[in-house]
Amino acid sequence: MKNRLREAYFVGLFDSLPLLRDPMILVLLSMISFLPVLFTFVITGAGPVTYQAVVGAIVLSLAFTGLFSSQSVYFNKHWFRFQDILVADGISPTAYALGLSFATFIVSVPALAVALLLLVVWVHPDLVGLLFGALASIALWISMVFAGFAIGASTKNVRRANSFPQVLSFFLGFIPPVYYTLDRLPAEVRPIALLAPTTHAAQLAKHYVGLIHLGELDIIIGWAYLAIFAAIMAFIAIRKAHWTDP
Amino acid sequence: MDVVQVEGLGKTYPGGTEALKDVSFSIRKGEVFCLLGRNGAGKTTLLRILATQLRPTAGRALVLGHDVRTEPKAIRGRIAVVPQEARPQMLLSAYDHIFYYCLIRGMSRADAKAKTREVMDELDLWEHKDKMTADLSGGLRQRVIIGMALTSEPEVAFLDEPSIGLDPIGRRTVWGLVRRLTKRGVTVLLTTHYMDEAEALADRLVIIDKGRTAFLGSVEEAKSAIGAKMRVIVEPLVATNTDGREVLTPSSNEEVLAIVERSLREGRKVTFKPPSLEDVFIQLVGGSIEE
Repeated sequence: MKNRLREAYFVGLFDSLPLLRDPMILVLLSMISFLPVLFTFVITGAGPVTYQAVVGAIVLSLAFTGLFSSQSVYFNKHWFRFQDILVADGISPTAYALGLSFATFIVSVPALAVALLLLVVWVHPDLVGLLFGALASIALWISMVFAGFAIGASTKNVRRANSFPQVLSFFLGFIPPVYYTLDRLPAEVRPIALLAPTTHAAQLAKHYVGLIHLGELDIIIGWAYLAIFAAIMAFIAIRKAHWTDP
Repeated sequence: MDVVQVEGLGKTYPGGTEALKDVSFSIRKGEVFCLLGRNGAGKTTLLRILATQLRPTAGRALVLGHDVRTEPKAIRGRIAVVPQEARPQMLLSAYDHIFYYCLIRGMSRADAKAKTREVMDELDLWEHKDKMTADLSGGLRQRVIIGMALTSEPEVAFLDEPSIGLDPIGRRTVWGLVRRLTKRGVTVLLTTHYMDEAEALADRLVIIDKGRTAFLGSVEEAKSAIGAKMRVIVEPLVATNTDGREVLTPSSNEEVLAIVERSLREGRKVTFKPPSLEDVFIQLVGGSIEE
């Protein structure tokens, strides 16, 4: 177990090393999910609207980077072909998957750090609320990592490997009510917004840090949706991502 | 002792493409065994099956006494793979690649540093250790990949076209490395497009054509198999390009005389050369390796 965790750590470190060696790019990439917060703050100042956006930035920092595991999966298998070297070495596929997931987490750290700091300073959430808000974001991140693995393993060309996660990030991140509240949408559009897992994660996180109030049923539905989405993505990822090709 | 045993191996991909139909051979310990074939002949498929990266659909393959299908874990960790057209991460240094792969493999930082130094020295990479691989030549990048794969001190090394795209000096560096590996008792299975590389390195070779074994044996056996004692090249006296150039492999003295007589009559130059592996390949496969 210890050896596998060590393998995972170094796989993740190696995968994220280009960004760690160039912290400016790391910060820049990480802060993409933070840009709406900046604009909201400039336009509305420090207030409820900006606080919503801060929570959205936390949720999406993790979701975006999780989704971008698809690039690591694709490039390590088809471009660099490092996966072939590691298979021959007897590295555990679980350690490899954990390592690539860990690498995505590293990329989100700068944005998470800034957003959490702002949240604590502006909103003063209690520790339990913060913890549950983080759990909702992590649940979304896990499902997005699975989705990334499924996409990366199914992608057949380098152009798709680059474009697909970006397009998906846009539709899952910037369109649904993540930076803003669900009630800003017309009532007839809300059911569509609730199809996005990012909506549920953001709603739950906002609820737990005290920015909105959700009923008990909404909370159960939110967690159930995230759990089912993660399970489906895990199922697809396991079916698609192969250590030994069929 | 046979380190690799392949019996009637076949591979049909899920989409229905039949890459291998019936390939059989064995590789002895410490041998350099070359896998030759045209593009699409199934060389990489075969290598990936033996390296436990791809499941066969027919036949049987044993590596180090273990079945690739049922006991892949017993094989992994004792082999190394240099995948075809692998590329280093452009924004990392040559040192980073090899050092971090040592760490992934479980070495301590001190051991990883020592091993990285040893491997980089062996591959003449040390002077480039801090350069980003984006700034290295193709040959040096390929050496970085080879270095990553070989830090594990494998018993069997699978090298998939390791010298493709390298200049003559780069190719010879790879050849030197292959020879040093076999001196240490490592068995090497090498796929290549270059006939001279196979001639220079192979103890034995297999030629695969249309998914089947077309020839199995040593280079000398291959040359004698086609029955040609020599290669006769007939070309115009003033060769401006390769138009009108014929490469013939006569099998009797009468045929040689007939060729010479015809060439004199047509005013063309005749050159005699020993048969090459390429002649064997052309005769067995019916075309050049580049087709």
